[in-house]
Amino acid sequence: MKKLYFEYDMRISYSEAAQSCRYTMKCIPAGTDRQRLEKLDIRIQPKADYAEGEDSFGNRLLFGGVDEVHDFFSVCVTGQVTAGLSGAEPVRRGTDAMLYRHPHGLTRPAEGICSYWETLRTKLRGTPLEQGIFLMHRLRQDFAYEQNVTDISTTAEEAFRLGRGVCQDYAHILIALCRMAGIPARYVTGMLIGEGRSHAWVEILSEDQWFGLDPANDLLVEDSHIKIGVGRDAADCAINRGLVMGGGRQTQTVRVHVSETCEGKS
Amino acid sequence: MYDLDLLEHTDTVNELLARYGVKFGIYKNNTFREQLFPFDAIPRVIEPEEFDYLERGLKQRVVALNLFLKDIYSDKKIVKDKVIPEDFIFASSGYMAECEGVRPVKDIYSHISGIDLVQGKDKKWYILEDNLRVPSGASYPMIARELCRRSSPQTFRDTRLEDNRNYAELLRRTMDNVNVGGHTVILTPGRYNAAYFEHSYLAEKTGAHLVNGSELKVVDDRLYYVNFDGKLERVGAVYRRISDEYLDPMNFNPESVIGIPHIYDVYRKGNVALINAPGNGIADDKGIYYFVPKMIRYYLGEEPVLSNAPTYLPFYEEDMKYVLEHFDTLVLKDVAEAGGYGVVFGSSMSAQQKEDFLALLKKEPRRFIAQEVIDFLDIDILEGSETVPRKADLRAFVLMAEEPLVWKSGLTRFSRNPDSFIVNSSQGGGFKDTWVLSH
Repeated sequence: MKKLYFEYDMRISYSEAAQSCRYTMKCIPAGTDRQRLEKLDIRIQPKADYAEGEDSFGNRLLFGGVDEVHDFFSVCVTGQVTAGLSGAEPVRRGTDAMLYRHPHGLTRPAEGICSYWETLRTKLRGTPLEQGIFLMHRLRQDFAYEQNVTDISTTAEEAFRLGRGVCQDYAHILIALCRMAGIPARYVTGMLIGEGRSHAWVEILSEDQWFGLDPANDLLVEDSHIKIGVGRDAADCAINRGLVMGGGRQTQTVRVHVSETCEGKS
Repeated sequence: MYDLDLLEHTDTVNELLARYGVKFGIYKNNTFREQLFPFDAIPRVIEPEEFDYLERGLKQRVVALNLFLKDIYSDKKIVKDKVIPEDFIFASSGYMAECEGVRPVKDIYSHISGIDLVQGKDKKWYILEDNLRVPSGASYPMIARELCRRSSPQTFRDTRLEDNRNYAELLRRTMDNVNVGGHTVILTPGRYNAAYFEHSYLAEKTGAHLVNGSELKVVDDRLYYVNFDGKLERVGAVYRRISDEYLDPMNFNPESVIGIPHIYDVYRKGNVALINAPGNGIADDKGIYYFVPKMIRYYLGEEPVLSNAPTYLPFYEEDMKYVLEHFDTLVLKDVAEAGGYGVVFGSSMSAQQKEDFLALLKKEPRRFIAQEVIDFLDIDILEGSETVPRKADLRAFVLMAEEPLVWKSGLTRFSRNPDSFIVNSSQGGGFKDTWVLSH
C-alpha cells in the first residue's frame, strides 16, 4: 500500500487561433476497492464551465466546451491516491465478463496474432490469472518496446506485425490473446510512479476478480499504478477527446508525475 | 370499394406529389440522385377484423422488442438464460456498449417502429423485418391520402375507412410522453437525406421545430435550441432522423458534421429524450430477427400472434445442414446489410457464385440468415390503363406512447419489376396507400 501524489498535465497548443472547442476528459483516478482517491483538483484553461458524467464502463468524465477564441487548451489534474489497498478488484457488474471477452475495435486479432496464438494455446495452464501472466511473459520476449513507431490508432494486429510499440500496443495485444483464451480482459489507462507520460495496462478477470497486468513492464500491478479509466480498448477510455473549430496544427504535450512524497510536485 | 374516379386521378396525384417535393433521395457511389416515389392509386385494402389481428400481433412484437433492448443494455437475462447465444449480441454491429446502463425516459427504446410484413398466397401474414432505428415512410401514405381526398372526394364519402391523417397526433403523443421539459424538435441531416420530405412534413403536421445539428447546442448538461436572436431555449425531446453513428461526434463518429457534440452525454443523464433510443440496431439485426418469437415467449409468456418468415441460422449446425441441402429454394441475407442490399436468391446464382458464396457461408456462418422464399400474394397496380399483379409488402407503424399504438394505415411498397421480390424503396419501385376499413 502506498500513498501517491500525482500530477497529470496536458496541454494542446494551436498554430492558429481556435474559434471554439469541445472536450471530454476521462482523467479522474477511479475510486475502487484497491485504490482510494483522497484529494483531487482539476484546472481547465481557458476557464469554462463543464459538466460531469459517467460512461458505460463506469469511468467518470468531464465534458464541456470553450466558446471564445483561444490559442491553447490545458487540463491539469492533481491529487492524492492510496493505491494497493488490495490485490484485486471484485467484479462490479454481473455482465462485465460478457462485455470484455469479445473481439472489439483496436484489439481485434487477424492472421498475425491468430498464428501467434496457435503457438501458445496448448501451453496454457492453471487459472485465468496464471494464463494471463504466462501470455504477458511471452509477449515480453516476442515484442519490443519502442516509441514513435505506432500511434493511438494503431491496432493490436498492426503493432504485432511490426513487433515493436509502446504500452498501448502491449496492452492491446495482450487483451487480444486473453480474449482468444476466453479470458475477459480490459484496457486500463493510468499513471505509473515516476515521471513521464500516461500509462496503459490490462486487467483480466480471474475467479470473479480483476487483476492488473502491466505487459510493457512485465509485472503484476500492485501499488505503484494509479488507475484512471477502463474500456474494451484504448478508444473507449481515451483520457482526452476533443473537437476544435479552427486552430490549425495542434501540438499536444502530456506530463505525468507520480511520487510517494509531495516534493517534486510543482 | 374504390371506384374509377380515384384511379383516373392517378396522374394528378403524382403531379401534386412531385410539386410538394415527395421525392426519394438516393445517395450511391458518391452521387446524389433524387427520384420521384411513384404513387399507385389502387389502395391496399385491409378488412377491420384482419387489421385487429395485425394490431394485436404488432403490439405484442414491439412490446417484446422494447423489453429485449432494456434487458440487453442492463442484465442480459435472455443471454444468461441461453435463449440467445452471447455471440449473436456481441458480434453484431448493432450492439453499442456505449448504451450499457443507460435508461431512456420511461424505458422506451423504440418509440417509432416500422415493421415490414408480407402476405403469402395462403393469406397468412409474415413478419419480414423490424426497423427500430430510424424507420421512414409514414408521410407518404399520409400525404397521398390527403391528395386523393382532394382529387376524388366522392370515393371517401362512399367508403367507410379509418382516417390515416391522425399519424401526426399519434406521433405528437409519443414525443410528448417522453419530453423531459422544453421544446420537441425533429432533427434532420438536411435536404440531401433520402427522407427529407418526410422530416419537414412531420414537423409541419406535429408542430415540432424542424432543426439541423447546428441549431442545437449543449451547455452544461442540457440541450438547447439556439433561436433567431441567439437565445437558448431548452429542448426536452429530439426526434432525430440521424443515425446513431452521426449523432454525436464527441461520442461516436468524430467526422460527423451533422450531429451535436455531447448530445449523448445529455441523454445519458436523462436530460433529454432521444427518439428512437441509440443502440436499437441490436434488436433489428437480421440475425436477432430469428429470435424475436423466442423473445415474445421469454418476456411475455405468450405465443407470438404473428409469425416470422421461416428462417434458418447457419450458425446452428442443424440449420447449416438444412441450408446446404435446400440452397436453391432459399433466400440468403447478409445480416450487416440493409435497404434490400446483401440479399441473394440461391436459385439465381451461377455455379461459380454459388461456390464462392458457400465458401463464405462456411467461413462466417454467423453473418447470414437463410429464409424460405414466401409465395407472395400479388396485388394489382396500374400500368397505363391495365392492372397487373406485383409483389408488395406492408410497413406498419407502431408507436410507443403511454401504451403501444398501431397506426391504422401503413406504407405499401411494390416492385415495378414483375420478377423482383425486393420492394425496398431504395431500389426503385413505388407505393400505395393502405386502407383499413372501419368496423
